[in-house]
Amino acid sequence: MGSFLKKDLLVFWRDRKEVLIALLLPIILIVVLNVALSGLFTDDGESMDIQVGIVEEDNSLEGLERFEEAVNEMDLDQAEKEAILQQTSVFNPSEMIISFFDNPEIKQVIHTKNVSEAEAVELVEEGDLHAFVRIPEGFTYAILSSIMLDEEADVALSIQAEEQSNELNTLQNMMNNFIESINLELALGTIAEGEAQEPLLPQGGREVIEGVETYSFTQYITIAMSTLFALFMAQTLAMKTVTEKRERVFNRIILTGSHPFHYLMGKTLATFILSWLQIIITFTISQLLFDVFPDKSLEFWIGLLIVITAFALTISGLTALFTSITLNLQDTNAASGIFSLIIMSMAVLGGNFTPIQILPAFLQRIGEWTPNGLSLTVILEWIQLNNSGNLVIPMGILFGYFIVFLMLGMAIFPGRGRN
Amino acid sequence: MLETIKLSKTFKEKKAVDEIDMYLDEGESVGLLGPNGAGKSTTISMISSLLKPTSGDVKLNGKSTIKNPSEIRKVLGVVPQEIALYEELSAYENLKFFGKIYKVKKELLEIRIQEVLEMVGLKDRQKELVKTFSGGMKRRVNIAAALLHKPKILILDEPTVGIDPQSRNHILETVKKLNEETGMTILYTSHYMEEVEQLCNRVYIMDHGRVVASGSKSELLSILSTEDTIQIQLSKKSYPLLESIKGMEAVRRVEETNEGIRVISKKGSNILSDLVHAAEKVDIQIIHFQMEDPSLEDVFLHLTGKTLRD
Repeated sequence: MGSFLKKDLLVFWRDRKEVLIALLLPIILIVVLNVALSGLFTDDGESMDIQVGIVEEDNSLEGLERFEEAVNEMDLDQAEKEAILQQTSVFNPSEMIISFFDNPEIKQVIHTKNVSEAEAVELVEEGDLHAFVRIPEGFTYAILSSIMLDEEADVALSIQAEEQSNELNTLQNMMNNFIESINLELALGTIAEGEAQEPLLPQGGREVIEGVETYSFTQYITIAMSTLFALFMAQTLAMKTVTEKRERVFNRIILTGSHPFHYLMGKTLATFILSWLQIIITFTISQLLFDVFPDKSLEFWIGLLIVITAFALTISGLTALFTSITLNLQDTNAASGIFSLIIMSMAVLGGNFTPIQILPAFLQRIGEWTPNGLSLTVILEWIQLNNSGNLVIPMGILFGYFIVFLMLGMAIFPGRGRN
Repeated sequence: MLETIKLSKTFKEKKAVDEIDMYLDEGESVGLLGPNGAGKSTTISMISSLLKPTSGDVKLNGKSTIKNPSEIRKVLGVVPQEIALYEELSAYENLKFFGKIYKVKKELLEIRIQEVLEMVGLKDRQKELVKTFSGGMKRRVNIAAALLHKPKILILDEPTVGIDPQSRNHILETVKKLNEETGMTILYTSHYMEEVEQLCNRVYIMDHGRVVASGSKSELLSILSTEDTIQIQLSKKSYPLLESIKGMEAVRRVEETNEGIRVISKKGSNILSDLVHAAEKVDIQIIHFQMEDPSLEDVFLHLTGKTLRD
């Protein structure tokens, strides 16, 4: 088997064109896409100057008192009432909104002024304000009753503007993210801990959830391109069989009495090594060029290495299957076409070209089950959560794919040359 | 040593090989002749266990090799028509790879590689990539790769197609040496009659998937023992003369050649005076004539109706 492995590695290495494609193209694409598209994914709010009026009609103190009275009138024991009031003591919806706009980073983008509703309408009409945010009367009480007592809120925060604009979209997105982060905080019960934690505020359009880091466009594109080109490696190595078949080298190998397993494993192992190296080199160069994963711990890098290894193993299994298909098909062009189709489908579904979130739900589910889609998702989760428990099952699935592909490849391998 | 018994192969509706009976005795050098599409390569593929016959058997020392090809693979070296080598590897790397998978013992492999490279005259070029070699050099490495495991039987499928005379002579000498000095059994297919005449003790002639004749050179030539061949050089070409000769009772065939015409007639028919008369009649001068001994090429033509390169 070692002879086959060495031969396959040498044959690949001597084909300079293939080597250049495998190593340079993903890096070139990462650089080009970073330069060309990164602007689309970064916050353009920094260059914006959004003028927003705050119409505060709510009296939060009154709202809190009213809520306290409502709780005391409820048919609950004293301990429960105290627990509810304790939780609400650190949660003041109106103040949180005001303090959101007071955040220095938000202030760089959004400039607010307190105005009455009539003034706000006038200023918006005149174009002095892009929009105004109205905190309606009874807002504090309604929100607290809704969250703590599960009562239906009859008032809601509103954003009003004269016309659609980028500024309005940005404001809406920031507000939505802010509210979502508060909802998550509440759902996670972090506020109920009573530690008076200030919820992290959304920064420039990025969704920031406490304890969860976001991933950048550069990180996404690095992972997507690396895994995409690793997929192509499966095809490249398998298609070497075409030359071996056409030039009767394969027949010569059969005549030596070598077991097909050795031939197949040579290709499989060579693909594993080459795709592993390819991904590692791409990641390394991207890291050096763009500092893709800044300030990451050793644990992060080890986790990343594990995912890359499992993915490279799956790719190598795919090569075994492709190799056997190539040997079975008379028309090698058909084989090449089939493999390209499989790989491109996997790439589209797995999110190598665009995030799978833009796909319909059923395609997303399929995409998450492709080896590349699974690896991409796992690495992105690893960046965000750094939870090693999340790696176990996907790694098992990737290893399972490897076994299944290899077994299929062996099962359909042509019987020792006689046909 | 090796025999085929009613060996047949049918591809879809087409019978490529039709009940061929052949044998190779130990140490023999046997030629397999036939025009393109005669079924030579299919026969070789079945003998060498690469292709399963539709019917019939291939026996090695009396044992069938169809179900268990491993025995024949151990003693067989096959030189295919194609250059079955990795072009991206050097001659040495190719031989090392094939030697290893032939399971030549590690301590012997290096010696063996140098031996076969010496045999094919490429010892000095062993480190060069195969893709940089000429066609003839590639064919020599192709032969070397089939010799690494010291096979008892060597099958060569048109090993000299499209190469320079120097490489061709080298290959012929190598094959001759292998047969004469090491007693290796040879099955040699070629388009070149003179190669087969030079190398082989016996010849099988195939056409349309069947063996149409077989035997030693003298046995095959005896097929033509009932004919005389006269090569005639004329002062100019003449269609009426050609027709007139064809009409003679003793004449079997007339062919136009570069030099003039070739007349094949019944043995001992003494048609020379008739030929001279016929030429005088149409005012053509016979410049030169020569009685020719029949060759294997004539036998082939006689049996298949076409030349080897058709």
